[in-house]
Amino acid sequence: MTLTKTVDQMTILSGDRSKLKDLLCNRLAECGWRDEVRLLFRGIIKEKGTNVKVEQLITEVTPKARALVPDAVKKELLMKIKAILAAQEGIDL
Amino acid sequence: MSTGTANSAVSSKSTNSTTSTSKVPVNEKSNNSQNANTSTASIIKSYREIVNDPKNLDEAANYLYQSLLDDAVVGVFLEIHHLRKTGNLTAMDGVNEDESETSFRIVDMPNFDIFGISTAKKPMDCTCPNCDRPVSAARFAPHLEKCMGMGRISSRIASRRLATKESNSASSSSSSSYLQTTNAGSDDEDDVDWSSEKRRKKSSQNSRNNGSKKNNGKTF
Repeated sequence: MTLTKTVDQMTILSGDRSKLKDLLCNRLAECGWRDEVRLLFRGIIKEKGTNVKVEQLITEVTPKARALVPDAVKKELLMKIKAILAAQEGIDL
Repeated sequence: MSTGTANSAVSSKSTNSTTSTSKVPVNEKSNNSQNANTSTASIIKSYREIVNDPKNLDEAANYLYQSLLDDAVVGVFLEIHHLRKTGNLTAMDGVNEDESETSFRIVDMPNFDIFGISTAKKPMDCTCPNCDRPVSAARFAPHLEKCMGMGRISSRIASRRLATKESNSASSSSSSSYLQTTNAGSDDEDDVDWSSEKRRKKSSQNSRNNGSKKNNGKTF
């Protein structure tokens, strides 16, 4: 079993994934990241018209969106994730 | 008969398939539960291995962060997609300033309203379907009433025409004798005499607005 698969399944099993997701979404909305990414999408749609593939759009936007995330949010999220992953060491389902 | 046999064959097949499928999930379920038990144990086992190594822990945290961020990007994309499909995106975009300048500029000139339409009164003429004459829109309804020979006044004209015919047959065509004969008639003849006096004046002034039939009806 690969590392990514294990982490995915473990976080889903313990229910921490949705918690972290909520936290990240809140932080990103607070710092205006969502608005910036929305503008990115709209700009691309305006440029290329309506016949854009979803995968194409996502692959184009994702690197820019990653770069747009503020360092503070990224650091906070990584700290939280590490803490949660470390706390689950002794968990028993 | 052939169809019937086919149907029966199909039904038997379907029953076979249902029995087979109904059998399969039971096996799968038991397998799943067993798998679940073993898989959770194996997940926890491999998870502990990962967490115990700080290098792997870093990698796992980074991976988790990236996947969560990707999910957020897809979320924003779906939001945009929903807005676009429901037409709200174009509504939010609105109209450009330049475009609105040209097409929605407020006109500020005398004798024009803000949309650039002249406020000066236009003579609105309707052609009467009965006599094919242009009639002003405000006067159209009363004109039509008279022209078609309907309503209060025109019926009086008709009755008066009858009365004048009678008076003509009585060898007296002057208006005074007509008045006398009408006065000698019934109780509402006073009204007729008054209206006929008025109508004579009016018809000489604006005969255009009165119907052709009414003018034809003037036999004196």
